[in-house]
Amino acid sequence: MASLLSRAADAGGALLGRLQSVRLPGVGTASVKDDPATAARRWRAVTVLCDPDRLADPPAPLAALGGRIETRVTRAPGDKGTELAARYRGSASDAEIGELRAALREAKQLVEVGEVLRVEPQPHGPRAETPAGKALDGAAAAAPKEGVL
Amino acid sequence: MKALTWTGVNQLAVADVPEPQILNDHDVILRIRRTTTCGSDLHLLSGYIPFMRAGDVIGHEFMGEIVEAGKAVENRRVGDRVVVASFVSCGGCWYCRNELYSLCDNGNPNPGITEGLWGQSVGGCLGYSHAVGGFAGSHAEYMRVPFADVGTFVVPDGVSDTRALFASDAASTAFTGVDLSGVQAGDTVAVWGAGAVGQMAARISAIVGAEQVFVIDRLPERLEQARTHAGAETIDYTRTDVAAELKERTGGRGPDVCIEAVGMEAHSPGPQGVYDQVKQQLRLQTDRPTAVREAVLACRKGGSVFVLGVFAAMVDKFPLGAVMNKGLTLRGAQVHGPRYIPRLLEWMERGELVTEHLATHVLPLEEGPRGYELFKEKKDGCVRAVFTPHGT
Repeated sequence: MASLLSRAADAGGALLGRLQSVRLPGVGTASVKDDPATAARRWRAVTVLCDPDRLADPPAPLAALGGRIETRVTRAPGDKGTELAARYRGSASDAEIGELRAALREAKQLVEVGEVLRVEPQPHGPRAETPAGKALDGAAAAAPKEGVL
Repeated sequence: MKALTWTGVNQLAVADVPEPQILNDHDVILRIRRTTTCGSDLHLLSGYIPFMRAGDVIGHEFMGEIVEAGKAVENRRVGDRVVVASFVSCGGCWYCRNELYSLCDNGNPNPGITEGLWGQSVGGCLGYSHAVGGFAGSHAEYMRVPFADVGTFVVPDGVSDTRALFASDAASTAFTGVDLSGVQAGDTVAVWGAGAVGQMAARISAIVGAEQVFVIDRLPERLEQARTHAGAETIDYTRTDVAAELKERTGGRGPDVCIEAVGMEAHSPGPQGVYDQVKQQLRLQTDRPTAVREAVLACRKGGSVFVLGVFAAMVDKFPLGAVMNKGLTLRGAQVHGPRYIPRLLEWMERGELVTEHLATHVLPLEEGPRGYELFKEKKDGCVRAVFTPHGT
């Protein structure tokens, strides 16, 4: 019985996880109206509060993506820092674009505060195995790679 | 250790959980001395913010003593008695450098969720769902606090634990609304909601020079506190027409500044309240904006309306025409704690701002579920339940 419930939770969680990745027009992503090829070629950018010189060499998370990406560094208007943009040189999958989002966010954090904020492991009570719970676990795990960036 | 956990919609339980640990060099571990319920917790409890995982430790308004510090923490020491800002702010991004701390770029490890909802991610919030970081909360014996140099503040010796506790969120949220709505000397301010945040907004408005302050609610014990401790005039919205009452008492002008401190579960006795309840329950709108609508319509021409209550996403029947044609300034914000907590502690030390009366029910952590029941149902005159995980 427990195994059956667990399999049902897995299946429900997987379904909800799939639904979460369905793109609705204008919701949840900056390039939802683009065709996939255009979206893959968009520059993804963060503004980092530092001088452009600080980003002359790509921070480690972007450097790890190596020659697959190109980067662009531009001084931001209004003393807001430096715009750090990156995109894949060729076509890119959704998963690869997610990696790029996460790398840009980590790069910004490393420059601005010196470390990447962690949240796990941390205290929590018993986690019930439910479809909604599994879906939320999946959404939280994917969140650094998702969003409108 | 013991902690109060969310286990499902309208379900809480005290559980044994692992103790927190230092995860980043800027972290501290706090031994919790006081931690309190907040009205915004009720949105989590009721399931209106669907990003809670069974087992999550809740609580985001608290103070305690530092028992361990990460190696990059420079300005805090083990043994410091501190009050903590509820939002997680890095101190290094453009938003933090401009004192917009709740908008921190680096405080939410789950940015994808709120970017999808709002177009941008805001800072993380301790103990307040996976949408804003998934951090374990303060209703526990011990807690990890990230970026301690930015978000923790040493409590002056003359300020009691209970007084300092409310600088963490209620008073600093109120100050955010008063300051950013532009309350000036001589202003007339109306505050919707006589909970802790509303009472603090009324009192702080008076401190910064407002000449006339109104507080609107339906609960007599809270209205009495607003009169006694904030010096406010009060309006019971179940007994009168709020807009007409405000017009009558302000020479037909309406308040210069209207601060909404109610949020997404606003009550209303009329058909409008029924309409909002039905639409929210059917998920045709996520929030009930009754008080915001009333504030917009009551505000004087060219005045300022500030949305301080927590809202999640979409509302219906919003009087945008009034905002435009009356030339209103409409703003909102989550709390910019580090911008305001130092001044609050100064006022608390001088006795200008007192908060102890808000702690109507002081309970051991083991009574957490009962504390939330008292708080949610407004039983026994409960304004805030305060938990003491280590006893007095």
